[in-house]
This record gives sequence, C-alpha cells and structure tokens, in this order.
Amino acid sequence: MYGELHWRTFAGIAILLALGVLLPLVLPEYFLYLGNTLMMYAILALGLDLLLGWSGQFAFAHIAFFGIGIYTSALLQIRLGVPFIVGVPIAAMFAGVVGLLIAIPATRLRTVYLALATYAFAECAQWVFRTWDSVTKGSDGLRISPPDIFGYVVGTDRRAFPVMAIILALVLLSLLYLTRSRLGRDLCAIRDSEHVASASGVDVKRTKMVAFVLSAVFAGLAGGTFTLFQSFINPDSVGLAQLILVLTMVVVGGSGSIAGVLVGVLLIGLLPEILRAAPRGLLVWQEFAYGLILVLATMFMPRGLWGVAKTFFARTPKSAPTAAKARQPTS
Amino acid sequence: MSAILSIRNLTVRFGGLCALNDFSMDVAKGAIHALIGPNGAGKSTVFNCISRFCDPAEGSIEFEGSSVLKRPSHDVIRIGIGRTFQNLELLAGMTVLENVLVGLSRRIPNYLPFGPSPRRSRTEAQAVRDAEDILDQTGLRPYRDHLAGELDFGRQKLLDLARALAGDPQLLLLDEPAAGLRNREISFVDSLLLDLVRKRGVTIILVEHVMQLVMSVADRITVLNFGQKIAEGSPNDIRSDSRVIEAYLGRPSHA
Repeated sequence: MYGELHWRTFAGIAILLALGVLLPLVLPEYFLYLGNTLMMYAILALGLDLLLGWSGQFAFAHIAFFGIGIYTSALLQIRLGVPFIVGVPIAAMFAGVVGLLIAIPATRLRTVYLALATYAFAECAQWVFRTWDSVTKGSDGLRISPPDIFGYVVGTDRRAFPVMAIILALVLLSLLYLTRSRLGRDLCAIRDSEHVASASGVDVKRTKMVAFVLSAVFAGLAGGTFTLFQSFINPDSVGLAQLILVLTMVVVGGSGSIAGVLVGVLLIGLLPEILRAAPRGLLVWQEFAYGLILVLATMFMPRGLWGVAKTFFARTPKSAPTAAKARQPTS
Repeated sequence: MSAILSIRNLTVRFGGLCALNDFSMDVAKGAIHALIGPNGAGKSTVFNCISRFCDPAEGSIEFEGSSVLKRPSHDVIRIGIGRTFQNLELLAGMTVLENVLVGLSRRIPNYLPFGPSPRRSRTEAQAVRDAEDILDQTGLRPYRDHLAGELDFGRQKLLDLARALAGDPQLLLLDEPAAGLRNREISFVDSLLLDLVRKRGVTIILVEHVMQLVMSVADRITVLNFGQKIAEGSPNDIRSDSRVIEAYLGRPSHA
C-alpha cells in the first residue's frame, strides 16, 4: 500500500460517524447492542490482522491483550475512579507494554511454535483473571459501572453507540495511515520473505516487535470499549471461543485487508442472529457452523471473501495493463 | 584499481560439511566479478555471508575498509551492498511497485509517527516517483500494479533486480540473474548490467551458470569447487585453465 488516502475512504469514515449519531435515534436497543458488539469485534479483529494478515505472524495471544484491556480499564474505573477517557488509553498502553514483553521471546519463534507459545500465554492470562480473586473477583466476575465521558453518562447501548463509532473511526484512520506508511510495507515484506525484507534494509526483528506492540494496543483498546456497553466481565469472555471467533472473522473476511476484516466481522458477527431467525433446531448448530465456515474458507478462499470479490471484480475492467490508467495521483 | 570488497580466509561449516574452505577474494571497484562453479560449490554461501544470513566460522569480509561481519543483515544495504536471490524470493503478495518501494526503504525515514504530515507525503510521493523510474529502466512499468507473484518468470527475475537497485547499492550481489531466462531476456540483463557499471559505477559480483553472460560481461572470474577456490583470472585465462575445464566446463569437446 502506498500513496494518499482516497476521498472515498474519508467518505466511508464520515458515513460511519453519521450512522453513529443517527442510528441510535431510530433503532431499537437490541440492534444497537449488536452494533456495539460488532464495532468492538472490528477493533479486535483489525488488531489481530495486523499480526496475522499483514506481518504473517501466527500469534494467538490477542485475546489475552483484549482481557488485559477490559480488566485494566474496568479496575482503573472501579478501584481508582479513573475516568473512561483516561482509563482506556492507559489500558491500551498497558496491553502494549505486555505485548512488548511477549514480543521479545515471540520474535524468536516461527510458525507452529509461535502459535503454541502465544496461545499458552493467552491461557495463562485467562488463568490469572480466573484465580486472582482479590483483584478480578475470579469466576464471579466484575460489575462494571457505566462510564462518564465529560458528563456524558454512557448507561445504555443507545448512548454507547456514537462513542463506539467515533473510536472505530479513529482506529480505522490510524490503521489506514499505518498500512500506507513504510511500516505497512515492511510488515508485508516480512510476511512474504524475511530474507528479501532484511536484504532491503528492513530490521525484521524490530518491525515484528512494533507489530506485536501495535496489535496488543488495538486489542487493549477493544477491551476498553467493552466496558462502554457491557456491565459485567468474567474470565469466560476472554477464552478460546472468543479467540476462534475473531480468527474466523479475519480469515473468512480476508486477512491482510482492512475492508476484508470488516466484511468478516459483519458476516460472522451476524451469523448467530441469522441462525436465530431460522427454525429453532438450527441454533444448536452454531458452533458447528463456525467450524465449517472456517474450514471451507481456508480451503476454498485463502484470501477470504474480500479476496474472492476483488479478483472477481478486477478481472473485467483490468484485463490489459495500461501505464496511464495505473498512474494515480500521489501528492 | 583498489578493492571495494575483500574476503579473507572465509571458512563456513554446516555441521560436518565444509561449505567454504579458507576462501579469499578481492573485488575491484567498478568491476563485474563473476563467481562460478558447479552446484554446491559454495557460491551462494559467499553471498549469504556478505548478506549476513550466515555466520562464517573463520575469516573476514571488508567492504571499503570496514568489517561487514560485524553488522546485522538489515544494515548491509545501508552500507551499500545490495543483492538478488537465486530462487525467486520475491514479495509475492505485494505489487510490483510495492516491491520496489520496499527496496527503497533505505531512503524512507523510519515509521513512527505514521500519521499524515506534509513531510511524509513528500517523501512518499518522491519514493513512488523514484520507484517508477526504476520500473522504467527495467521495463516493468506496464506491470506496476500487478502482484509480483503473478508475473512470468523472466519479469520476476527482473523485479528482484529492480528491488535491489532501489537500494542504490555500490556493490550488487547477483545470484543467477539469467538462470532460466530466454536469450532475448539474457541480452537485456547483459546490457542492464553493463549500463549499471558504466553509468553508475556500480560494482557487481555475479554468480551465474549461463556462460554466455559470464564470458561477455565479466572482467574477472573466480572459480569455486567444493568450497575451494580453484582458479581466478580474466575470462580468457579461465577458459583455458585445465582445472576449471575439468571441474566445471567439462571436457574440451563439450566446452
């Protein structure tokens, strides 16, 4: 990726912000809850994709950073009375610091070893949340009080929705810039060939560390937004099931692409709702459906739904390369 | 002419195998120095030591008087040594332009902050223009927005070279740039290399099996066999060297 952002991208973000303000006026509370959940998953999945799709690092500690984000922002608020607007950035930073500590050993590992080691870390983190009774209240969970943002009390999904839209818009903007910077290209280069990247002057180890930290920060931020519309957190919210869910979103939608991940979040996030509308007997098949979709997606569309759509639409107009058409304004 | 790169007593062992044994070589500034030898002779190992992908057991490599072996691999391009790869190691999931932009990394300031800024816009725009120039030189401009992995074999080889050139190296290590190319493509690479040396004063170390290319462009040739240097000299010397003929070129009737 390179060059300036297209005006259509800014238009898309403006639409997101407009919907953030307008939808709470018309939609029932349940749909807004659904929207908030999807937006939170979008931040979480985009952060995971930074490692998985962009840098090609099969690291699964993500859900732990999400948990760290939730607990840190919730505890800062409950115990110390730190306001949401301060607590969430601190939580995201803290997740980033832990991410850095994980990155030091993780950048020495590859493929399945990296996957196992990072997954083990996620399990450890969940164990800490579950057993550190004095702080996290263990399996009983914590009750989160509604945050107050400069006097705007977020007690309902209706009031949380615009805030979520703003946070998601900021996340999208920063990711768009990031992926269009040298860092974005360096990440892809590492994914495709560490040797070529290194011979081209990319400090592979340091770039991987940056990717780990940024990914953890996004997960921590997603955790912070959890406290915005959820009133209760327990360790079951940050386990293997959620990790698989986010992974499915990324892989099915299209890893290595912001738009692809968003498609995946929408589709996989809405799947239970669609299944719920189907005859009652189908709901029990939900887990099975996730699994089946994941298997089919990896077998038949390694670049996800978005990749399939892109090749389908690219085929017609772009048959012959023309230098004039390829040239885009870059300044 | 003075040596831009001097390799002294380089020994590399992989387990019990001695990939390079007490290998020394001087590369004159502005020369095209070919490194030839049968498969497994240790040619790529020499490159991998210079690129710092591989640590020699003994020996030294000096580039313009400073030790290369002390540097990490991502620093090697920064001191002016670029390379291409033998087995089409490309950034296959990135476009042709992005491949060259990665090659330009050396000239683009480091990542953070990655937000919008006028300076960032200028350097990025400049980088894209530079990358397009390099695509023009290598004839890859029409494929600017194609994925590197979708190019045909010859163009992938050229792209590897274009990416390496983007780093503006003083010394270029080319690992079989002509392998598998058609004759017409070989003569294009041939003229591209001569251009680089004459117009930009680049020094080239060329590992190559295509003798047509080696004999037409090389100023000097070093021959390796089983990790040992067996001969060194001008193309004419090498052509008539009995050890080389025996080890590499085959019997006179085949050469």
